[in-house]
Amino acid sequence: MNADAPHAAAGRVGDRPRDLPMARSMCWHCQSEVPGEYFCAKCVKVQPLSKDLDYFTCLNLPRALNLDEQALEDTFHALSRTFHPDYFATKDDSEKAISLGNTALLNAAYRTLKDPIRRVEYLIHLEAGSAGTIRTTPPADLFDEILELQERLDAFRALSPDDAPERRQTLREQLRHDRRSLEDRKAQLDARLSDQCTKWDALQAGAGDDAAVRAQKDEILTAMRALLSNRTYVTNIVHDLAETAG
Amino acid sequence: MAYSDKVIDHYNNPRNMGSFRKDEDGVGTGIVGAPECGDVMKLQIKVEDDTIVDAKFKTFGCGSAIASSSLATEWLKGKTVGEAGAIKNTDIVQELNLPPVKIHCSVLAEDAIKAALNDYQKKGDAASDAAQPATSKAGA
Ligand code: FES
Repeated sequence: MNADAPHAAAGRVGDRPRDLPMARSMCWHCQSEVPGEYFCAKCVKVQPLSKDLDYFTCLNLPRALNLDEQALEDTFHALSRTFHPDYFATKDDSEKAISLGNTALLNAAYRTLKDPIRRVEYLIHLEAGSAGTIRTTPPADLFDEILELQERLDAFRALSPDDAPERRQTLREQLRHDRRSLEDRKAQLDARLSDQCTKWDALQAGAGDDAAVRAQKDEILTAMRALLSNRTYVTNIVHDLAETAG
Repeated sequence: MAYSDKVIDHYNNPRNMGSFRKDEDGVGTGIVGAPECGDVMKLQIKVEDDTIVDAKFKTFGCGSAIASSSLATEWLKGKTVGEAGAIKNTDIVQELNLPPVKIHCSVLAEDAIKAALNDYQKKGDAASDAAQPATSKAGA
């Protein structure tokens, strides 16, 4: 373990300035002011990350969907070292608890933002708030198709191997064919999702957040939400098909 | 995950599994999905003189969703269209003792009931008794 950590890391995280919002603007220990620092400048105690800190801010990233993966990795590793519980093994209980809490938040942020799909889900949750949980009505034809496929799968499962080898083979071929076409469909959904992500990033990078921009953003969020849920349905049935018919 | 006995019972002996022809007279069909998990549920009612005389479901999803829809079809039978609209997912949660992570499965069943009722009303020139106050406690 690095002897100079964590205090050496306290000043900077990598080359990034420490300007993150903390849970307190006052050190929990010595009550001196800590303007968004990970460690109190005076008593050098570690400070808790705010529970309200959003994951993008936590990892010092812009609220973008095509994000800088390298920056994500670098910041995560730097901060992991900074808050690593090993460095606090000999500290008092409050500091240990803060180190654990910060590490947990950091890990959650990293796991969420690293996965492109979870990243989009998280952005929707952040930006759309409760509107993000409103159910989208998936296209009826998709549902009809899924139900039909599920019934076909049931029929296939019900066939015993020795009973009807030929019928089984035909059905299997058909199911495999269905699976390929659904995989294409999923690829199309992914492509459309990625378009929306690019649109979002462009808006986000542009200056201003007036009503017109907000309306456009909401439109993108709604589209993303619908794409995501359709993707979940398709993923499910593809999984079932693969499991049953190979 | 530990399922309650009632969930297991419905799962092992689902009531009213199957379907009606969609275009059959008096039949309302609701097909809904849970975007959280991608599970899909189909619930159908058959209405005669404003009373639900039969109900069927097909659910491709978790045990709780299967149990919720199975239970829902049991409850639906014999209810008027108005009464059916009053069934709440919380009634299902209570009856089946669903844990918090499985609440959305019961929501799926409530949505399916609503969708089936909607479809029935849309289809039929069936009398608009839907406006009639639904007082009976669902699941009682
Ligand atoms: S987990 Fe999907 S409906 Fe229960």
